Amino acid sequence: MTAIDEKPAPGRMSPPLRGGRAGLARYSRALRTPRGAAGAILLLVLVTLAVAAPLLFPGGYDVQSRDALALPTWSAPFGTDEVGRNVFVRAVYGTRTDLSLVAIAVPIAAVVGTLLGLLGIVNRTAGNLAQRFLDLIMGFPSLVLGICVTLVLGPGWPALVLAMTIYALPAFGRLARATLLSQENRDYVSAARMLGVSRSRIMGRHILPHTLDTMVAQMVVAAVASIYLESSLSIVGLGVQPPEPSLGVLLNNGARYMEDQPFYVLGPALVLFLLVLGFSLLADAVTDKGNKA
Amino acid sequence: MLTYLVRRLPSVAFLLVATSIVAFALPRLTPGDPAIAVAGPDASPETLELIRHEMGLDRPPIAQYFAWVGGILTGNLGMSFTTSRPVAELIGSRLASTLELAIVAGVLMVVIGIALGVATATTRRPLVRAVLDAANSALLAAPPFLTGLFLILLLGIFVPILPISGEVSLFEDPIIGIQYLILPALALALPQAASIGRLVATSMRTTAEEDFVDLATAKGVSRSRIVRRHILRNSMGPALVTIGLRFGELLAGAIVIEAIFARHGLGSLAVTSVQTRDYLVIQVLILGAVAIAVLMQVLTDIGVAALDPRIRLGASA
Repeated sequence: MTAIDEKPAPGRMSPPLRGGRAGLARYSRALRTPRGAAGAILLLVLVTLAVAAPLLFPGGYDVQSRDALALPTWSAPFGTDEVGRNVFVRAVYGTRTDLSLVAIAVPIAAVVGTLLGLLGIVNRTAGNLAQRFLDLIMGFPSLVLGICVTLVLGPGWPALVLAMTIYALPAFGRLARATLLSQENRDYVSAARMLGVSRSRIMGRHILPHTLDTMVAQMVVAAVASIYLESSLSIVGLGVQPPEPSLGVLLNNGARYMEDQPFYVLGPALVLFLLVLGFSLLADAVTDKGNKA
Repeated sequence: MLTYLVRRLPSVAFLLVATSIVAFALPRLTPGDPAIAVAGPDASPETLELIRHEMGLDRPPIAQYFAWVGGILTGNLGMSFTTSRPVAELIGSRLASTLELAIVAGVLMVVIGIALGVATATTRRPLVRAVLDAANSALLAAPPFLTGLFLILLLGIFVPILPISGEVSLFEDPIIGIQYLILPALALALPQAASIGRLVATSMRTTAEEDFVDLATAKGVSRSRIVRRHILRNSMGPALVTIGLRFGELLAGAIVIEAIFARHGLGSLAVTSVQTRDYLVIQVLILGAVAIAVLMQVLTDIGVAALDPRIRLGASA
C-alpha cells in the first residue's frame, strides 16, 4: 500500500535525479528482480483482500455460527473460532485494521520525522533540541514505548497510531539530517544558492529528493515495525480491543485454543508472516537497486 | 578508554534523567485518580484525602519527582498502590524469571547469530547458501511472538516434548527449569540472531576481499584459521554494535514472550501495572528497561574497541 503508492513519486522529482522516466525505470527494475516481484505480488494480494474485505465478506467480521472451533473447510480455510466465527474472514479484516493503522502512522512519521531532522536549518538550537528528543525516543525499546503511550491514552486506535508514529520518528529524522549534512556543501547547492534560489526551495527541490530512495525503504521498514508493535501490544492485551479483529488480537485469542484448533492461530500467523515478508522483500529490492545505481 | 567513558557520560546521563522525567510524568497525564483506584469507588472524601496523603499525591509534582528520584538513588522505591507491597519486593520477586530468560536468550542470540553468519559467508555450495539465506529471510520476517507460537505448535503440541506454559526456577531445579526455558528463549533469540547473522555474513564477505586475507592464504595458513583469526575477528565490529542495539528489543520481546508462555516475569508485571495504573511500579520498570538498553549500547561500544585495536575510543569520538 503505502510503499507501492510511493513508487511513482520519484518520477516527478526532476532536477537532481536522472530524469523523470529514468527514475520510474529504476523502480520498475527493482520490481523485476525476483525478490521485488515476489514482494510486490504478496503485498498486492493482501492489500486487495484487505481493501475489498467489505465487498467480499459483506457480513462483516462478527458473523457467528454453531460450529465453534471447527477445523478448516473450503468456505473457512482457517476454521472457526470459539464462537463459530470464520477465522479467515477475521484475518482479512484484521489485515485491514493493521494496514489502516500503518497507512495513518507511517506517512505522519515520515513527514514529522523529516521536518524534525531539518529543524537545524531554521534554528540551530531548535535543531539540537530536536536531535536530543529523537535520541530519547531511540532509547525506548518498541514495546516499552507502546506501553508508555497506552498508559496515557488507554488501549485503542489513537494509542496505537501515536505509538507507531513516535517509534518511527528517529529513523526519518536521522535520515533527513544525514542527507542535509552530506549535501549542504556540494557544488550544485552552492550554485543554486548563488543563483539566488531560496533556502526552502533548495531544500525541497535539490536536497530532499536525494533521500527518496532511502526514504521509501525506510517507510517499508517502519511499516513492518508498526505491524509488529500492533501485534505485540494486542497480544499482551493493550492494543486493539476485541471484538474488533487485528492480527495481534487473533494471535492472542487463537493461542488459547491451540490444542483444539491449531489453525485458529496458524492462519493469522501465516497472514502476518506473508505481510511482513512482502514488505521485507520489497525493501530489499529497493535498497539493492539503490546500491547498484 | 576512560576518556571515552567520560565523554559519553553527559549524553547517557541526559538520557537517563529525561527518561526518568518521562516515566514520572506519563502516569500523571492519565485521567482518573489513583486514590479512587486504591480505595474503591464508594470511598468517602476523607478516606480519599488520607490515601492521597499517604501516597504523597497531595504534594506538588516537582516535590513528588525529587522524592521519587531520591528514593531510587537510596534504594527505596515506594509502595505499590494496588498490592500494598514495596515496589522493590514486587520487582525482586519477578526479576529472576526475566533475568533467566534474557540471559539464556542473549547467549542463544549471539551464538546462533554468529554461527549462522559464518556458515552463510563461508559455504562454497550454492545450494547450502540458498537454503541458509532463505532460512535467514524467514526468521527475519518472523518476530519473537510468531516464532514462539510456531515453536509451541511444533514442539509442544504436534510433537509434545517440551513444556509450553509456566515456569520452574533454574535455581530450584536446573534440569526441569531449563526445559521450561528453551522454547521462550529460542523464540526470543531467533529473530535477533537472524539479523546478526545477516550482518556477520555481509561483513565477512567484505573482509574476505582484503589483502591481508590473500597474504595469509599465500603464507599457507589453513582455511579454518583464516576464517577464525583473520576474517571473523575483523568482521565482528558491526555485529557487536547490532548486538548492543538489539538487546533493548530483546527486553521488549520478553514482555510478549512472557505473555505467550505464561511466565510471571517483569513483562507481565508491567502489563498488569498498566492495566491497574500502578504508577510507582510502571515508572520504575520503564526507567529500568531504558537504562539497561542504554547500558548495553555503551558496553558494546567498549567491546568493539577491545576487538579492534585500531579504534581508540578516546581518540575517535
